Amino acid sequence: MLSRTADNLYWVARYVERADYLARILEVTMRLTALPLAYVGSTNEWDSAVATAGCGNGFFSHYSEANEDTVREFLAFSAANTSSIRNCIELARTNARAVRTALTSEMWEVINDSWLTLKKFGKGPTSREEFMRFLRFVQETSLRFDGSAYRTMLRTDAYWFFRLGLNIERADNTARILDTKYHLLLPEDTHIGGPLDYYQWAAILRSVSALTSYHWVYRESLKPWLIADLLILNPKMPRSLASCYDNLVIDCDALAEAYGRQGTSQRKARGIRTRLANSRMTEIFQNGLHEFITEFISNNNELGSAISRQYLM
Amino acid sequence: MRIRVSHRTVYRYDKPLSRVIQTLRLTPRPHDGQHVVRWRIDVSEDCRLEAQDDAFGNVTHAFSADGPVSHLEVLVEGEVETQDTDGIVRGAIERFPPSLYLRETPLTVADPPIRQFARDAVAGREGEIAVLHALLGAVHEAVVFDTDPTHVTTTASEAFGLRRGVCQDLAHVFIAGARSLGIPSRYVGGYLHRSDGVVAQEAGHAWVESWVPELGWVAFDPAHSISATEAYVRVAIGLDYLGAAPVRGTRFGGIGETLEVEVQVDQAFHQVQS
Repeated sequence: MLSRTADNLYWVARYVERADYLARILEVTMRLTALPLAYVGSTNEWDSAVATAGCGNGFFSHYSEANEDTVREFLAFSAANTSSIRNCIELARTNARAVRTALTSEMWEVINDSWLTLKKFGKGPTSREEFMRFLRFVQETSLRFDGSAYRTMLRTDAYWFFRLGLNIERADNTARILDTKYHLLLPEDTHIGGPLDYYQWAAILRSVSALTSYHWVYRESLKPWLIADLLILNPKMPRSLASCYDNLVIDCDALAEAYGRQGTSQRKARGIRTRLANSRMTEIFQNGLHEFITEFISNNNELGSAISRQYLM
Repeated sequence: MRIRVSHRTVYRYDKPLSRVIQTLRLTPRPHDGQHVVRWRIDVSEDCRLEAQDDAFGNVTHAFSADGPVSHLEVLVEGEVETQDTDGIVRGAIERFPPSLYLRETPLTVADPPIRQFARDAVAGREGEIAVLHALLGAVHEAVVFDTDPTHVTTTASEAFGLRRGVCQDLAHVFIAGARSLGIPSRYVGGYLHRSDGVVAQEAGHAWVESWVPELGWVAFDPAHSISATEAYVRVAIGLDYLGAAPVRGTRFGGIGETLEVEVQVDQAFHQVQS
């Protein structure tokens, strides 16, 4: 396969996953800000949404204040923001069109449909109801796209590049949420159990669609250290860092087997997975949750560039 | 190196046993030089196989089966991808501070002859690495590899007295000596891919890891007088053989037990590193 083709497949998956993630962030933030101030405290949730989306710098060069209008506009529809939902879907479609023959027709139809539907939303809906519908549409796009890939693609290198992009983006997204919200998960946080924390914790879980899963796994009320455990070390939780890396190792191994050779990407992915598999939450808290996550994000980025160097250019 | 392991243990009984309980320490964990591609355990009886970590962080599986059983077979097989790390073990699970591994156990008592031997072997050497390599060479020279005279419960001092033993005994002598010199050391059980091409082996392999402050844990194999290479698959650690034993268990009934162990270690297929 041409490196260019691999690159397109990898980025289609990344952009669709990113659009899905942004939609979740926006939905959760809308939910939080809809609550009375007494429940959620006076923190500006829109600020935190921008930070979690990882585009703080870009945002404040265009707007002076983070509020519902500006953040909705910037994260969902802005042409100036390279990672807005609109741009993600457009870029995903451009990448998909470039490798139209490497995708199955089901996948192409999903991505092309969404691109056409996106146009109908124009510059963005004004009413909240309409905007919520838009967010549902984005999340459904990623479900349909991912599902059609799973159900229709041949398990060849094309599929593994697709999965690689998806899992690396997913790991990055979960780590970003943890990075912005880690202070809420530290066990020494004193006012444990207040309504403020409850809604914040529920919001973290919702943003990775894990609120129900949490109750299934732990069968108790929300505890910050258990939330951290679920999102970092639990391999059964599809968006946890551990699960993303279990999958990344499988994807990298499959590519190594397909090509009969392996390199930095495989070693790097295995190294990170080993670290996650051999860690315990108590040790992570002892050595600093923030340090752990910062290190993870930089490791994940290194894996991203290792994959680029090895396969995509 | 991609190493494929198949380890079959077969128990046969003249009179069937009525109940058996076993703990298996047969599942490797990943570390920086070792990636477990796939691994599975297959027990011939219907039973629940529960995975848990023991105190050292080893993966253990416990199972129990009700009889009558006259033939019990435990098959472990898998594939591990290893890299040469010059014997240095990083990224492994560490549940205890190194000083715990100075603790003496009945199998690794350093009696006066071993103490004397260790002192003589390292005389004039400075620094842990030089000391450990001197001890490694000395143990390899002094104790001849011989599968006949020793058995699983032979202690370090007995084996040292005989000057004979298997990899397990050499590891015990090395551990006793190193600990008597104040260097934390631990027993490692695992598999070795033999460079001479012999695939079928009678048992797994055993070696030692010693603590070197500036490097961390470093693996030494007294049976071959080298540090562990990429041919080694690290499965379990412990203070001595009993702590890292691949199978421990008990049974009710079952007279006339015969045990058959078959270990196969070979290379899966050759992959070229880019």
